[in-house]
Amino acid sequence: MNTASIISIKNMTKRFPVGKGEFTALENINLEFGEGEFAGLVGPSGSGKTTLLNIIGSLDSPTEGTATVMGKNIAQLSHKESALLRNLHIGFIFQSYNLLPVYTVFENVEFALLLQNHTASERRKAVMDALEWVGLTDKVKSKPAMLSGGEGQRVAIARAMVKRPKILLADEPSANLDAKNSHQILKTMKQLNKELKTTFIFSTHDEKVMQYLDRTISLADGKVVKDELTVAANAG
Amino acid sequence: MLAFKLAFKNLIGAGLKTWLNVLVLSLSFVIIIFYNSMMDGWDQQAQTDTIAWEIGQGQLWEKDYDPYDPYTLIDAHAPISPEMKSQVESDALVPVLITQASVYPQGRMQNILLKGIPSDQQLLDLPTSALGTDGDETKAIIGKRMAEATKLKEGDKVLLRWRDKNGTFDAREITIANVFDNNVPSIDNGQVWLPLSTLQDMTGMQDEATLLVTGSNYVPVNNENWTFKGHEFLLADLKTIIQSKKGSAAIMYILLLGIALLAIFDTQVFSIFRRQKEIGTYIALGMTRSQVVKLFTIEGGAHSILAAVVGAIYGIPLFIYLKNVGIPIPAASQNAGVPMASEIIPVYGISLILSTILLVVIAATIVSYLPARKIARMNPTEALKGKIQ
Repeated sequence: MNTASIISIKNMTKRFPVGKGEFTALENINLEFGEGEFAGLVGPSGSGKTTLLNIIGSLDSPTEGTATVMGKNIAQLSHKESALLRNLHIGFIFQSYNLLPVYTVFENVEFALLLQNHTASERRKAVMDALEWVGLTDKVKSKPAMLSGGEGQRVAIARAMVKRPKILLADEPSANLDAKNSHQILKTMKQLNKELKTTFIFSTHDEKVMQYLDRTISLADGKVVKDELTVAANAG
Repeated sequence: MLAFKLAFKNLIGAGLKTWLNVLVLSLSFVIIIFYNSMMDGWDQQAQTDTIAWEIGQGQLWEKDYDPYDPYTLIDAHAPISPEMKSQVESDALVPVLITQASVYPQGRMQNILLKGIPSDQQLLDLPTSALGTDGDETKAIIGKRMAEATKLKEGDKVLLRWRDKNGTFDAREITIANVFDNNVPSIDNGQVWLPLSTLQDMTGMQDEATLLVTGSNYVPVNNENWTFKGHEFLLADLKTIIQSKKGSAAIMYILLLGIALLAIFDTQVFSIFRRQKEIGTYIALGMTRSQVVKLFTIEGGAHSILAAVVGAIYGIPLFIYLKNVGIPIPAASQNAGVPMASEIIPVYGISLILSTILLVVIAATIVSYLPARKIARMNPTEALKGKIQ
């Protein structure tokens, strides 16, 4: 990539204790991600995609090596500092959407902004903008239980994007969606990536998602086996 | 503020489970306030009645007088000094002479305390005007408990036997001039009231008394025969009884509060187990672990705020109703030997209400915090997967 690096991973290894031994989830990973990338971590289950995503999202830290996100060494951040990093710069999209069930669509999207010091009117405008990006302005008062799978994931995208993060991490975002909805949300994300210059990193093994990626990083048994730029079939 | 807003949102969103906890907790609120207000009402009524009917603004006791030792009564009498007499005339002091005697209602002997009091006194609420000395008959008044125990009623005559100051027995027939209703057993049970002058004549204790009840215009006198006993002393037994009643009642509402708090604790433990994904999501969205702990603690503690509101919705009308009609007390309780009206008007002090709210809020917050601490040790990546930790 010719853009500035906002994520830098060097010689990173992640091991988890399993019984009396250890399981190596990631081994000697070296990756750089620039601003505005639309990249995917692909590979079978257990290949280390989610672990890598969690470390980039400062939800976990490496056992060896370094992971630097927005200039911050993840391993050296306190709980408070990593929360601040996520709060200001990182958005998450989960496979099962993880919407807060008692909140309306508006409140779910607003939640990310409540943790920042925005006024009510600023929040309202930002939430409505985000819902407009995903085409859900007519669902502001709906509860998550009243939404379809595609709508739920679009709310999750709006919630992740409303604070205009530098990085958006999406863990199997299409796994619970049918083909039509998968394409729809991927088009939306691609559009936001272009408009807002947000770096999107997916973890996926879904062919539909791969069609949209500009960069595909293949993982197997915790190692990067291929890192290639791709010409997205559905670009633009 | 954010934590409070989110906590209340989550709490209301939890639906029936929240409202069941809130209902039980609100019952604790209402019962604690109800019982304490009843006790305070009883305390206030008992003190007011005891002051009005028996002790006035304090009493001057003859130095040998001990109400718990009837053998002292033989010697517990002394002359009323001239300076005290002037205060008796202005109703600042009301002398009472006490001696032991027996009555024979329906031919059965019953030991009594015979008390002499001026028939024209206005200091105490006793209907002593009925003791007027018209005619030759000796008039007496008795309380409703005494009347019930002896089956005596107004107009009845009964034989009275007593000893004079030399120990000689004498007897005469007395007429019950009035049976008075009252809430103070200590001026009623086993007592017969006569005109002071009559009793002084009967006992040969002219111008003597066992005690003098003081009024608000009483001017203290120094006399070695008499010892002043104030409200603190004279009402001490009453206060002790009420405090012990309050203490025993506390067991009941501590149990109720315990059940409510256990329900909150259980809800919290269950919530933290069931809502792991939500906890992980909060952390992923940028909340710190301590913010999530705070959110869950406030959420649990907020049960008590909702309980106060729900308790107020049904409690306030109930309390107003009870304030107007009073709390009926069974007749048997009124014979328990302590001043107690047939209806107690509850007293709702602001300190009682605030301290009850504070107690419940603090207790609910503590039991909410204990399980919420677990969140601080949660691995967010595991929480996001909803795995048991």
